[in-house]
Amino acid sequence: MFRSSMMAPQMSPQEEQEKMLDEALGIVKSQAFQMKRSLDNGKLMDGLKNASTMLGELRTSLLSPKSYYELYMAITDELRHLELHLYDEFQKGRKVTDLYELVQYAGNIVPRLYLLITVGLVYIKTNSCLKRDLLRDLVEMCRGVQHPLRGLFLRNYLLQVTRNILPDNPEGAEESEGTVRDAVDFVLMNFAEMNKLWVRMQHQGHSRDKERREREREELKILVGTNLVRLSQLENVNLDLYKKLVLPGILEQVVSCRDAIAQEYLMECIIQVFPDEFHLQTLNAFLESCAQLQPGVNVKNVIISLVDRLATFSQRTESSGGIPNDVKLFDIFSEQVASVIQSRQDMPPEDMVSLEVSLVNLAHKCYADRVDYVDKVLGCTLHIFEKLNVERVSYESAVSRELMRLMKIPVDQYNNILTVLKLQQYAPLLEYFDYKGRKSLAAYIIINILENDTLIPTPEEVDTVLTMVASLITDQPDQPHEEEDPEDFAEEQGLVGRLIHHLKSEVPDQQYLILSAARKHLGAGKAEGNRRIKFTLPPIVFQAYQLAYKYKALKDQDDMWEKKCQKIFKFCHQTITALMKAELAELPLRLFLQGALAVGRIQFEDYETVAYEFISQAFSIYEDEISDSKAQLAAMTLMVGTFEQLACLSEENAEPVRTQCTLAASKLLKKPDQCRGVATCCHLFWSGKKISGEEQHDGKRVLDCLKKGVRIANQCMDSSVQVQLFVELLNHYLYFYEKGDDQVTVQMLNHLISKIHEELPNLETNEETEQISKHFSNTLDHLRNRMESPEADGVSYEGLVL
Amino acid sequence: MQSLFGFGQSADIDLVLDGYENRKSADIKTEEGKKERHLLYYDGETVSGKVNVSLKKPGSKLEHQGIKIEFIGQIDLFYDRGNHHEFTSLVKDLARPGELMQNTSYNFEFANVEKPFESYTGSNVRLRYFLRVTIVRRISDIVKEVDIVVHTLSSYPDANNSIKMEVGIEDCLHIEFEYNKSKYHLKDVIVGKIYFLLVRIKIKHMEIAIIKRETTGSGVSIGPNSYLENETIAKYEIMDGAPVKGESIPIRVFLAGYDLTPTMRDINKKFSVRYYLNLVLMDDEDRRYFKQQEITLWRKGEKARKGGAGNAQSPTMSIPSHLVCADHHRREPTVESDADAANAPSVENMKREVDSPAEITSSDLGADSNSAIQSPLEANPSPLSD
Repeated sequence: MFRSSMMAPQMSPQEEQEKMLDEALGIVKSQAFQMKRSLDNGKLMDGLKNASTMLGELRTSLLSPKSYYELYMAITDELRHLELHLYDEFQKGRKVTDLYELVQYAGNIVPRLYLLITVGLVYIKTNSCLKRDLLRDLVEMCRGVQHPLRGLFLRNYLLQVTRNILPDNPEGAEESEGTVRDAVDFVLMNFAEMNKLWVRMQHQGHSRDKERREREREELKILVGTNLVRLSQLENVNLDLYKKLVLPGILEQVVSCRDAIAQEYLMECIIQVFPDEFHLQTLNAFLESCAQLQPGVNVKNVIISLVDRLATFSQRTESSGGIPNDVKLFDIFSEQVASVIQSRQDMPPEDMVSLEVSLVNLAHKCYADRVDYVDKVLGCTLHIFEKLNVERVSYESAVSRELMRLMKIPVDQYNNILTVLKLQQYAPLLEYFDYKGRKSLAAYIIINILENDTLIPTPEEVDTVLTMVASLITDQPDQPHEEEDPEDFAEEQGLVGRLIHHLKSEVPDQQYLILSAARKHLGAGKAEGNRRIKFTLPPIVFQAYQLAYKYKALKDQDDMWEKKCQKIFKFCHQTITALMKAELAELPLRLFLQGALAVGRIQFEDYETVAYEFISQAFSIYEDEISDSKAQLAAMTLMVGTFEQLACLSEENAEPVRTQCTLAASKLLKKPDQCRGVATCCHLFWSGKKISGEEQHDGKRVLDCLKKGVRIANQCMDSSVQVQLFVELLNHYLYFYEKGDDQVTVQMLNHLISKIHEELPNLETNEETEQISKHFSNTLDHLRNRMESPEADGVSYEGLVL
Repeated sequence: MQSLFGFGQSADIDLVLDGYENRKSADIKTEEGKKERHLLYYDGETVSGKVNVSLKKPGSKLEHQGIKIEFIGQIDLFYDRGNHHEFTSLVKDLARPGELMQNTSYNFEFANVEKPFESYTGSNVRLRYFLRVTIVRRISDIVKEVDIVVHTLSSYPDANNSIKMEVGIEDCLHIEFEYNKSKYHLKDVIVGKIYFLLVRIKIKHMEIAIIKRETTGSGVSIGPNSYLENETIAKYEIMDGAPVKGESIPIRVFLAGYDLTPTMRDINKKFSVRYYLNLVLMDDEDRRYFKQQEITLWRKGEKARKGGAGNAQSPTMSIPSHLVCADHHRREPTVESDADAANAPSVENMKREVDSPAEITSSDLGADSNSAIQSPLEANPSPLSD
């Protein structure tokens, strides 16, 4: 004690390991050297003694698994020399009798067994008749090493050296060296023993070292797994043998060892090393064992891994038949998963759902056309929730995460919401999510619809889809009270708006029903839903206008088209009115104007009344709801633009509209706005349509408006604005002059130009002024250009003074 | 004396046994532990040969009172040097009293002589056979002794049951061990199994020791005039590490490599040599738990064995017939305990060293209790060495 603490006061455990390993390797090296020399000199006994001394190093209990492994590798490497030497001797006929007995005199069991294996191997190689008996003897004798680490490596050595000589003859063949059955027995026994040793590691030592022990076990698991690899490499292990002998043997050991780490690893191993064809025929046995595993085993991962493999297999072999028909893959999995869930009360709900996820994956990959399978899985999931008395699945929970995966799979896989709708259990299951979850899934579904450009063609389907995405459409009872991020909200509602455009049938009557159905949903959350409808109703209205155009196009096939159009516009009117009631102004204004245009183009029975109603609605919104002067001007411009195009009103109705417009323009609050509004109104009198479709070309009233504009401009106090207005007016004049309004004369242009020339230099030099000058000079450039190279049938610019 | 002073005749005696060229010989240790090699005889074999007397001074005569040859089997106790206990003593006269004028040879024969015991050299006792030629003279006899080695062969024992026993320490360790036979010949293999029925101690390893117990003195009982000597012939590790309940550990010990004799029981009421298998378990605090079981060793006729290992060099033949058979080893621990309760075989107590130090003398385990087990391989005991 004293001495050692003096010698090595500050060695870390790692350094100690290295030191011990180095010492051991040193001995190995020197003994190996002497062994080889003895063998070369024909001194077999001495060589064996050296080998035995060398192997004695493997008796240590001080090395970590890693270091022990290094030592083991170094030593077994040297044992190769011994093996080759003995083999050569045997080949040359220099046989050493009783060598198998001789090495068994070694007093210590670990070196003895390594030597025995080495000699046994040479015997087998030179005389295969001995194979069966010797293999059996070796695997049995190894029981003497019960120390986990040493035992694992010893048996690993046995497994390694015998890898190429295991008897692999068909079962039933009269082979003196044995058949594949003997090989299976041999490996299975070695496997069982190794597994027991490996499991035992868990229970040795202090509980505080548990983590380290588990890490070490992790490092060693491959040694145990190699047994299974070996079994899988036996060519004559056919399905029958696998079913009757190999798999039951493995599973018995796996289940009975009652160790979670081992079970999880080995089940995974089985899945990975044996061919899929075998798995397919042994599903029941395998999955039944899954139900018997320890509580700590992540059975979910095991089953998922198997499902994934088989699913891949099915896809890979699709051309060559895929899953055999007699294998009811889905049914088996479905039943077994249910029984696993049933038998494992401790399983967290997320794992249960996760198992269902794997089932859905399986159904998709192997039975793409079996929607009922998917539905069945969803039903099972519902059932699980019922049994667990789950009421809501909270968004942050693991269950929610898994459920989300489950629910997204059909969406992703089918890429067609209409197929998803066939799943009866989908919507009920969706209800389990909390608000956030439902919303997230709803957005996901909508995005899928949009990306795949899926059209939803019946009112019933529309109804279902909108119910599924209800969390985005109406306010929910379980919705949190705090305000959502406006940008996120806008984005979500934008999605809904886009969704509306995908509610579409080719059959117009159907489409009408669709729109009505959708309208009902969208109106539902009215009280608090005003935030939503500005996003969602306009698409409905536009869809409705589209539909009306369609009826018009099909008017020869449908006698009722005019009535239907009336109905549509009534529907639109109501819908737009809903927006008005939501205290929106510009949006309904635009929609009314757009409606008026549509009516004007479609021209169904009594359309003028409808158009007039729409226009008057627009006007009253303008008058009652829009108070901001900028907004007023913008609305005014829109209205003028609309009326200019509108050709559906008789003069009786049209005249008040035009007059009203001009009047409204001149009543705008600010002078510049007045000026611009009035100038815009000019167009009503020039290119505004008569009911015949012709343009008005009422040059006089155009000029009246222009003059009024100039008058108003003159009243402007701000000279900069004034000049700007003059320039704009000049352009208006010019426009109508060029259009051929004979009321507009060159003198008027000259007058304006000289006025601007006069005023412009008085303005302060600033950015604004510069802009105005530029506008003006551009205008003059245009005129100059026209004068120099006049158009063939253009107006004359004679007398124009720039 | 006579020769020393130069007067009187003397002679060398040479004893040549018949057929010595072909007779097998065997090793035996001397009292000092040195190995000697002598011709080997079996019970009932005739011992015959020729005695050559050569005169040292040719031409002069040798007077004698008679020449005889004796065949003697005797037991020497080392602590009682004065007494030789002869159990066999046969005498043949080779010549009547008279004079020898020249080198002379005499044939002798002990026909079908009984040799009931095996030659043996132990720690306190020696059993030897020898021929003694004596030229009887008035002052000093001329004597020549020649040792032979006798091996006693036995036939196959009639009853050779396996040894099977459940032993343990209550609530601590229960094992059942099984040795395939109770009687083993000297080149035999002990095959057996240990089943662990209950393990509540941390076992480090397990070994089997072959212990030779030599008792000398009157009878079997140990009295004031008797001595007991234990010798560990072999220590053989059969398990490394700690087993758990339900494990079965194979035992296979080859005897041929060890220095063993047949079991000798109460030889001429002078001594016994018995052999025991000592199963020792050591726990991680270096406590030893052990159970001794006597086995009988016997010597088997060489000829029967020859057939197997002689000229037939193929490895097939050299594979021992005692490979473990995989069929009988598995025992279900649960079934086991039920059956135990039903049959209720008496569980014998195992001894724990600290509990009863008397069970084993200090020369046996106490003294060399360091865990290093001597490897017979290193001791080079095998037939390969010659």
